[in-house]
Amino acid sequence: MLSVKDVGYWYENKDNSLYENVNLSFEPGKMYAILGSSGSGKTTFLSLIAGLDKPKEGTILYNDKEINKIGLTNYRKKYVSIVFQSYNLLPYMTATQNITTAMEISGSIQPTKKEYATKLLDSVGIDNELAQKKVTKLSGGQQQRVAIIRAMCCDHDLIVADEPTGNLDEKTSKDIVQFFEKIAHTENKCIIIVTHEKEVADACDHIFELKHHEFQVIK
Amino acid sequence: MNFIKRALLSTKAKKGRTILLICIFSAILIFVLAGLTIRSAALSATESAKKSMGATITLSTNKEASFSKSTQQSTDSSATDSSVDPGSYSVTPVPLEDATAIAKLDNIKSYNFLSSTSAGATDSITPISSSDSTSSSTEESSSQSQQGMPSGGDQDSNSFGAGNAQGDFSISGVLTTAAADDFSDGTSKIVEGVGITAADVDSNNVVIEETLAEANDLSVGDTFTISNPTDETVTYDVTIVGIYSSSSSSDSLGMNFNFLNPSNTIYTSYTFANTLKGDDYTGTIDSATYELSDPETMSAFVKKAKKLIDTDSFSLQTNDQAYQQMIEPLDNVASFAKNIVVLVTIAGIIILSLIVMMSIRERKYEIGVLLSIGESRVKVIGQFFIEMFLIMFVSLIIASFSGRFVGNIVGQQLLDQQTTESTSTSSSNNQNGGGPSGQGQGGGRGVSSIVSSKTTEEVASLNITLSIKEIVQLGGFGFAICLLSVLLSSIGILRLQPKKILTS
Repeated sequence: MLSVKDVGYWYENKDNSLYENVNLSFEPGKMYAILGSSGSGKTTFLSLIAGLDKPKEGTILYNDKEINKIGLTNYRKKYVSIVFQSYNLLPYMTATQNITTAMEISGSIQPTKKEYATKLLDSVGIDNELAQKKVTKLSGGQQQRVAIIRAMCCDHDLIVADEPTGNLDEKTSKDIVQFFEKIAHTENKCIIIVTHEKEVADACDHIFELKHHEFQVIK
Repeated sequence: MNFIKRALLSTKAKKGRTILLICIFSAILIFVLAGLTIRSAALSATESAKKSMGATITLSTNKEASFSKSTQQSTDSSATDSSVDPGSYSVTPVPLEDATAIAKLDNIKSYNFLSSTSAGATDSITPISSSDSTSSSTEESSSQSQQGMPSGGDQDSNSFGAGNAQGDFSISGVLTTAAADDFSDGTSKIVEGVGITAADVDSNNVVIEETLAEANDLSVGDTFTISNPTDETVTYDVTIVGIYSSSSSSDSLGMNFNFLNPSNTIYTSYTFANTLKGDDYTGTIDSATYELSDPETMSAFVKKAKKLIDTDSFSLQTNDQAYQQMIEPLDNVASFAKNIVVLVTIAGIIILSLIVMMSIRERKYEIGVLLSIGESRVKVIGQFFIEMFLIMFVSLIIASFSGRFVGNIVGQQLLDQQTTESTSTSSSNNQNGGGPSGQGQGGGRGVSSIVSSKTTEEVASLNITLSIKEIVQLGGFGFAICLLSVLLSSIGILRLQPKKILTS
């Protein structure tokens, strides 16, 4: 589904590259974890596979098509959803509106977007009353769940999440991870989670660790 | 259409920012609208002034040329003849042939021939006297005569030469009374009978003022006798074909001279006026006036007309100076209003661009989120444009209701200022221009006073109203301000990278 081929990335010069010749593959129906210490470049790697940035060398293929050729904006719009550590919801909108907005931007074919969003939110414990509130009125855990639903609702096969549990308590983190597992396994999505928490990584089907500028397969 | 929905949500959610922008945009649009309405009203008033003034061209003796010719002759002959008066000059009457040739040119709406003189009273008619006491008037007249001043009210005191002699009646020889200044501007109007027309040429028909008619118990169809201004033994029987009323009043000078009293003005055909002036004046007139159907053709008309006359002896005067004087304050107001529109629009674009730029800086995060979920930059800019457009729309409504009042206040203040300046300049010019030009040439003073009164009337009637045209124009300016301010401030959006925004 997603192939990373000979990818290298550096900020200033190649001598100080974050990594070189990275070759990884990601399949649908599976949940992947990318582990690494702070500053190792895992979020940058997520930016590359999410189409937020371009690799300095190598290519990233989505269903055997270079994402550069698809167009990064188009790639983000049609094929990939992103869950951020800081949720990145639109603050002047309600939870439902955040989700329907993402659906409209991605061109979702759902005929009743609002009802669909309400149903999805309800499935993660955001009832109708909460769903109609401005997202700024929701707790961190609730906001993260809204962000995950926003990523899910667009029917994209690839979901990338950057430290999705970084700001959450243990219980909520556990709930979120379980929710990701469910999406990956029951809805055949490819979920790639960037994390530095071992507990989150353990819940994934595959684990890559970014260490010493190289990706190592842990699981 | 998603970005429109987002724009609506954002505008509604950020009430404080929206209200602030509405206030700023309304203030900008109110000033733009005030400028537009003032300019429109000033242009409309100018157009109206143009119509009311029409375009009149006067053919008359070239006084400047006559005077310089006379001065030259005086200088040349001074060596041999010390009796020549260097301040005098001879006036060549306008040949009727030339005046008629010009009248045959295109674009003439109407024309009139003028030949003025005076006439003395006889037993059959008594002039309206300006003074209650004949004896005191006579005494004063006598006293004035001794001091070298012309006397008035005394039939025996006619002492001027042919064509300019003082009498009891002022004779205004015209082609038609309808085209005469006093009748065309409404100062005088026929109340009984008919006015003088081209059919009265070579007749002794006259139109007299109603006060004069009542005082002498005369009515239409009656005849009376007037005497030649230079030779009272020569008399003429004239027939009254019409009686007119006049709203003009006599000035202090007129109090001393019967012929200056408006009630003693007798209208007749220019041919009869020439008869009174003497044989030398046959086939001539003092001046001719031509009213053009289209004021725009004035220059072309004058060019053609000049080819038909001897420009050394005769001149063609246009009313352009009077018109320019009349519209000067309006032009200034229109020009100032145009500057208001341009400056406020530019200021509006700058102010709103800065505000939107600041707003975009605050909304970088939102832009980053939208870009990260696949929204295009064009649609993000579109969202900001729609937000600004909604604000502009509300501001447009507010400005439409209040712009007219601001326009009225600002416009009136501007106009008052311009009118005061214009009036002081005008009165200063009049003072420098000398005294009354006399009635003999049938023009100067009358035209000036008419122009002055019309100017006041037109300037005072500047009416600032709000029409659909101004609203549409305002909408156009608002749209331009809106578009340019968003585009200028969106340059930053085009450079924004979602990764940098979201990871910063």
